Amino acid sequence: MTLIKNSEIVQDHWAVLDENQALQADHNIIDLDYWNANKDALIASKAPLGLLVQGDTSPDQFIDNIQHFELIAINFPSFVDGRGYSLAKTLREKHHYTQEIRAVGEVLPDQALYLTRVGFDALELSTKEAGLLALEKLNEFSVFYQAAAN
Amino acid sequence: MYLYNEFDQTLVNERVEQYRDQTTRYLNGELTEEQFRPLRLMNGLYIQTHAPMLRVNIPYGLLSSKQLRMLAHISHKYDKDYGHFTTRQNMQFNWPELERVPDILADLASVQMHSIQSSGNCIRNTTSDPLAGVCADEIEDPRPYCEIIRQWSTLHPEFSYLPRKFKIAVSGSPKDRAATQVHDIGLHVKKDEAGQVGFEVLVGGGLGRTPVIGQTIAPFIAEEDLLSYLEAILRTYNRFGRRDNKYKARIKILVRETGLDTFKEQVEQEWASIKDGQLKLTNDNIQRVKNYFTPLNYETANDEALEQHLANSGAFRQWFQQNTKAHKQAGYHVAFISLKSPTCPPGDITNVQMERVADLADQFSFGQIRTTHDQNLALTDVKSSDLYALWQQLTAQKLATANIGTITDMICCPGLDFCSLANASSIDIAQGITDRFTDSAIDTGNISLKMSGCMNGCGHHSIGEIGILGVDKKGEQWYQLTLGGSDSHQSKLGERLGKAIAKDDVVDAIDDIVHVYKANRTDNEDFASTLQRIGLQPFKDKVYDAH
Ligand code: HEM
Ligand code: SF4
Repeated sequence: MTLIKNSEIVQDHWAVLDENQALQADHNIIDLDYWNANKDALIASKAPLGLLVQGDTSPDQFIDNIQHFELIAINFPSFVDGRGYSLAKTLREKHHYTQEIRAVGEVLPDQALYLTRVGFDALELSTKEAGLLALEKLNEFSVFYQAAAN
Repeated sequence: MYLYNEFDQTLVNERVEQYRDQTTRYLNGELTEEQFRPLRLMNGLYIQTHAPMLRVNIPYGLLSSKQLRMLAHISHKYDKDYGHFTTRQNMQFNWPELERVPDILADLASVQMHSIQSSGNCIRNTTSDPLAGVCADEIEDPRPYCEIIRQWSTLHPEFSYLPRKFKIAVSGSPKDRAATQVHDIGLHVKKDEAGQVGFEVLVGGGLGRTPVIGQTIAPFIAEEDLLSYLEAILRTYNRFGRRDNKYKARIKILVRETGLDTFKEQVEQEWASIKDGQLKLTNDNIQRVKNYFTPLNYETANDEALEQHLANSGAFRQWFQQNTKAHKQAGYHVAFISLKSPTCPPGDITNVQMERVADLADQFSFGQIRTTHDQNLALTDVKSSDLYALWQQLTAQKLATANIGTITDMICCPGLDFCSLANASSIDIAQGITDRFTDSAIDTGNISLKMSGCMNGCGHHSIGEIGILGVDKKGEQWYQLTLGGSDSHQSKLGERLGKAIAKDDVVDAIDDIVHVYKANRTDNEDFASTLQRIGLQPFKDKVYDAH
């Protein structure tokens, strides 16, 4: 995996909670089920926390707790599934979420620019080459008809 | 008409380079077929039975003569010397090479044209009334709003991976000439009591496998809120539209399954949060675009010379009666150019004809050409005294078939000859109908006949007064007939006449239908009214008793 954050390739210090549900010390990305089951303990630990959601997850399911998350990762099960774009845009524009929104799952370099325009500031690409290409693709257009979400 | 500024031009140029790079990477194997597919589709490139097919946008059906000459040039340089006008006012090229498409796009960009989002699961070219700006019944010219929608929807980052394609049509007159009721969103220009311009918004119409007539979701949205309302609908659709089955993915299915009331609530909830944001249109925004569509420099003119020519020539009179329409400006007329000549598939036009039409537009109609959703062209601003000369020159190009609105002015999809999804051919049936009715079409009166080679419905069969649908019966080509459809301001789906009909009997069956109509009509009664009055049964009896 290669992570792009704010148009640079960066080291990723977040870990997605695996099937064994073993937490690392901090910077864990958990899903909604885990959050709902362990909410009190997680809040008490005060460790930086990220939330993994699907493109079709309704913001209603987590918006009341959003202040506990330093990162929202939105999963793309397939690159043609555009729901995550609307979710990111909604989090930025309607809920004024200002921390990291990360695109994970099937994310292609040719999509990097649109993703950043709707509010993703972090993109997880499958390989180093894909990451480098995505960086190039971020500069493909110098003009837009639509305002960027931020 | 709208002219690109530096901003618009830069965007289109950058798009060409983006696609050039994508094509190169695909040809080098760096993009898989699956990854390349949505990218090429969003640039209008399909892969068909014989070759790729490229669809070029003609925004709301308006072309300059220079742009039409470029289409002629492209058809000559990269294709087989012809192009095809579609039912959504666009042009398709049937034989381009995939490798050369980036060069075609660069040629298009040089005349302020593109094929961005002309296919794929995104917002398609916005269509409109071919008589926008010249018809007397217009509330407001819809074209500036179409252009505003074009810009908003072009390269829209959020709505480029929708569940399915998305089509918007705008009509500025109560008489709907843009088939807005069979679009994902249909917009009707309205004025409120204070004279403020706005739109009635219809949603969930569409043809294809499950034809549906759109329903009103909002009776009046002020013009300043146009884009925020559209965005609210699109976001609701993008979030909730079905993605598990591509035949159920259009917004019409979402609206049906959710129920219009609930869907409307969802949209309005979304709208409430964005209504007063960045998408709100200012008067300046709207006026800037409207300035490109101010009335043309009409001269004071009258119909005297025209009356003279009408008195002298029967053939001209016939063309005039069938192929021209009144203009809101005294001394001017709208002239339709029929692309349904007996010798050519519906909607096709050669490069030479395109060049000539461009010249005629320069000579007689302010250098502008319109495309219609019936796959014809129109010169909308011709001085009445020039009509005779125009007719003569059109005649020389086989472009003066006097059949606009008649049974031979049919809509027909490419069918089995070009399309891999077809059940049956349509071009040969169209030819058979043309041969049978060419001499009697005018006398028969206006009948809209529409034909598709399969249930995807590219030929709009379900809204034809006579609809023909190709079906497959154990590997043989059969045809299902429907009667009574309409694409007017009161759109209707046609009713099935009965069992499907064998290929060899189709033209006779159409002949039977026309006979029943002619035998039963009173005075000037049109086909729809006769059908309404006498019902389907007499038509059934005649068609099925005979075969
Ligand atoms: C040549 C091969 C073609 C293929 C494979 C093709 C394929 C399709 C398919 C699969 C649909 C159904 C889409 C849906 O229901 O969502 C469709 C719809 C449509 N096509 Fe085509 N098409 C072709 C050519 C054309 C042409 C030449 C025209 C114009 C004359 C055209 C105009 C349309 C229209 C207007 C619709 C209906 C849109 C709606 O559902 O609202 N197609 N086509
Ligand atoms: S209606 Fe069917 S046969 Fe005709 S072009 Fe469309 S998909 Fe092909």
